[in-house]
Amino acid sequence: MANEESLDARYAEALLRRFEPVIRFTRGEWFYPMDAEPYVDACSLWVRRPGEDAVCLVPAGELTLENLAQQPEDSTGAVHYLKIPTSKEDERRGLLARLRVRRSRKDPDWPRETFRAGRGRLARVGYISRLADALFSLVLLTRGRVPGGDVEGARVLYGRLMEREEHFRYHGRVIRQNGWIVLQYWLFYAFNDWRSNFFGANDHESDWEKVMVFLSESESGEVRPEWVAYAAHEETGDDLRRRWDDPVLEKSGEHPVIYVCAGSHASRYSRGEYLTELAFPLPRAFAAARRFARRFWYITLRQYTDEASAELPYERFTIPFVDYGRGDGLSVGPGQEREWDPPRLMLDPLPSWVAGYRGLWGLYTRDPFEGEDAPAGPMYDRDKTISKEWYDPVGWAGLDKVPSRTEELEVIHKRQAEIEQRRDLLRSEILEKSNRLKALGMDAEATRDRSHLTKLYETQTRHIEVLSKEVEEMRAELAEDEVLHESLGEYAERLRNGERSPAHAHMSHPVRPVSEEETHAGRVAQLWASISIALVLVTLILIIAYERSHLLSALVFAIAVFAFIEAGFRRRLARFIVSVNVALAVVGALVLLEHYFWNVIVLAVLGIGFYILWENLRELGR
Amino acid sequence: MALYRQTRLLGVLLILQVIAMVGIGVWLFASVDWDRVLILVNEQGQVRAQSVEGPWLKPLEQAVLYAIYFLAPAILLLLAGLGFVLLRRRGWMLASVAQAICLLVCLFSYTDPRPWFAYPIIAYCILMILYLNSQGVRAVVHSRRMAPAGARSETGHGE
Repeated sequence: MANEESLDARYAEALLRRFEPVIRFTRGEWFYPMDAEPYVDACSLWVRRPGEDAVCLVPAGELTLENLAQQPEDSTGAVHYLKIPTSKEDERRGLLARLRVRRSRKDPDWPRETFRAGRGRLARVGYISRLADALFSLVLLTRGRVPGGDVEGARVLYGRLMEREEHFRYHGRVIRQNGWIVLQYWLFYAFNDWRSNFFGANDHESDWEKVMVFLSESESGEVRPEWVAYAAHEETGDDLRRRWDDPVLEKSGEHPVIYVCAGSHASRYSRGEYLTELAFPLPRAFAAARRFARRFWYITLRQYTDEASAELPYERFTIPFVDYGRGDGLSVGPGQEREWDPPRLMLDPLPSWVAGYRGLWGLYTRDPFEGEDAPAGPMYDRDKTISKEWYDPVGWAGLDKVPSRTEELEVIHKRQAEIEQRRDLLRSEILEKSNRLKALGMDAEATRDRSHLTKLYETQTRHIEVLSKEVEEMRAELAEDEVLHESLGEYAERLRNGERSPAHAHMSHPVRPVSEEETHAGRVAQLWASISIALVLVTLILIIAYERSHLLSALVFAIAVFAFIEAGFRRRLARFIVSVNVALAVVGALVLLEHYFWNVIVLAVLGIGFYILWENLRELGR
Repeated sequence: MALYRQTRLLGVLLILQVIAMVGIGVWLFASVDWDRVLILVNEQGQVRAQSVEGPWLKPLEQAVLYAIYFLAPAILLLLAGLGFVLLRRRGWMLASVAQAICLLVCLFSYTDPRPWFAYPIIAYCILMILYLNSQGVRAVVHSRRMAPAGARSETGHGE
């Protein structure tokens, strides 16, 4: 953190307020950004040491932001965590809520709206993913996970806190890094209820999300917003950020607009529904076989591929979940239904609850995948190390290679000067080495074919080879430098004329919402997606039990029928026909090979022989 | 124009496939010993056709089965072939479905002993499947989908 420094508190707060985001939620969201203090006040602090039961260190009602950092009874492997108070009543209500019973009217008046899923995520993916999803749900029963009552407990707690004092607050931090002023908006939610309420991948108590605005500062001290980066799940790097003048980036005055996904609280740039994929690595051998088969099919046999197939990764298998960032719910921010309350600042000296508390901000479920464990605070990761977003926000957003607009020309001029200097040096070195090479060449000519000078001749030849290579490399480097120098000059000229590269040029795989067409499919398709996997399994079992005499053909027929229906619903009949044809062609090729094995071998050898003969004869004829 | 040449070639290949299939059918029916299979009997002034049980019925059975199996794909192939030759880009789905039916019949209906003609049909179908799915041919079909006037869903490749 060598070039990192905090700004004056009043100036920092003014900057935070000037560019604070507008957040649009999805209708039916239960939890909104809140102050961390009342949450902590309501929680209890626990510790779990390896191989031991969890111990309550500070009961609910006695914990405050001030004493949170004390973290008593620390030892190797100990995990400190907060726990939302839940009662038996909450557990009962949690169970009832899962059985889709309406909540009592006596409940706290949060949330006010209800969520409608629309077309389910399963209708958007294929059988394999649905099967994997079913397995994922089964595995969840054996993994550590947040109990069903917790979400209800969190809802009741959040409702009470909001009834006592309704507020919408972010936690702000401002730092300078690499020539940027970074405005960090840390959003704290009491619960991540993505799995329980929105068919997502996980639940966890508490949620810390962040949004960053990157400002450049002119010599006169005027600031200009240049980039923004919204956190979404574990995404980092270039695809995460958008340029301030990007048409995709919605703004309300100087306030960037964020579409927060229901439950997961992932932040998105556009309104819509997103397919978020949970990736699992495939075994290396399997991935290699997949890569080989695809290359053979698409490159060797020049078979057709659409964009979606071409981009499928070889080495991982994914289960898709839908993130609902519809933006049709509550809107928080300047000029919206709800305004931001004054932010809680996290400036130097850092408050003790930020720097001193390294534990989790909610239940520690001991989930091996960590998806159900609560997150750590803004400064730390779950393993208690300092998080990249905290110590290197510029690198986190992939901005460390990007100068601000006020620096661009200066960086180019510096780089050009550097290249010019190196070019002059290279030129003089090349000249010197070329002269030396000429001298060595003369020496070699003079000693050639002289028996008593053979050794000297060989040494000189070796020197010539080495020196020639060096000169060649230096000339190549010089040529590259000249081209680069020229390109930099042209680029500087374009910048001076106000031209900029396309706003999306830095992104390789930008996340986009799924199309309207995909979102609005029929109810039959939705129903089919929900029952298909169970139906496939039941059919397979029935065939195995009652059709053993025609097992293979019955299985092939059943799978073909299911695949055909699926392809019809997903409007992929052409792709289905191609797949069937490819499978049949492979079987056909094997049948041919089995029947005409020796004929095929003889034909192949004859073919190769004729080819070689043809090539040789062609060469003779030239 | 180069693209259309490809589709015309595809159409010609499909029509050739139909001609070959019809040729095999004609040959199969010609191999039936009709004199033994069909005996005309004159009973009390009424002429009736009668067949006598025996191994000579086997070729007839084979010919009839061939006609049942391959009539539909032959019609589809003919339509697809004419579509490609005359209408340039139509018929991809028909041709693909027809190849699938032909291969299914040859692989699963004709099991041991598989008749000799099943093998050349399998080989031809494999080559046609590769050609139908080649980048060149699919690019022509795809370009029709991309054209604003003809924009339609993926299911509309053929008709």
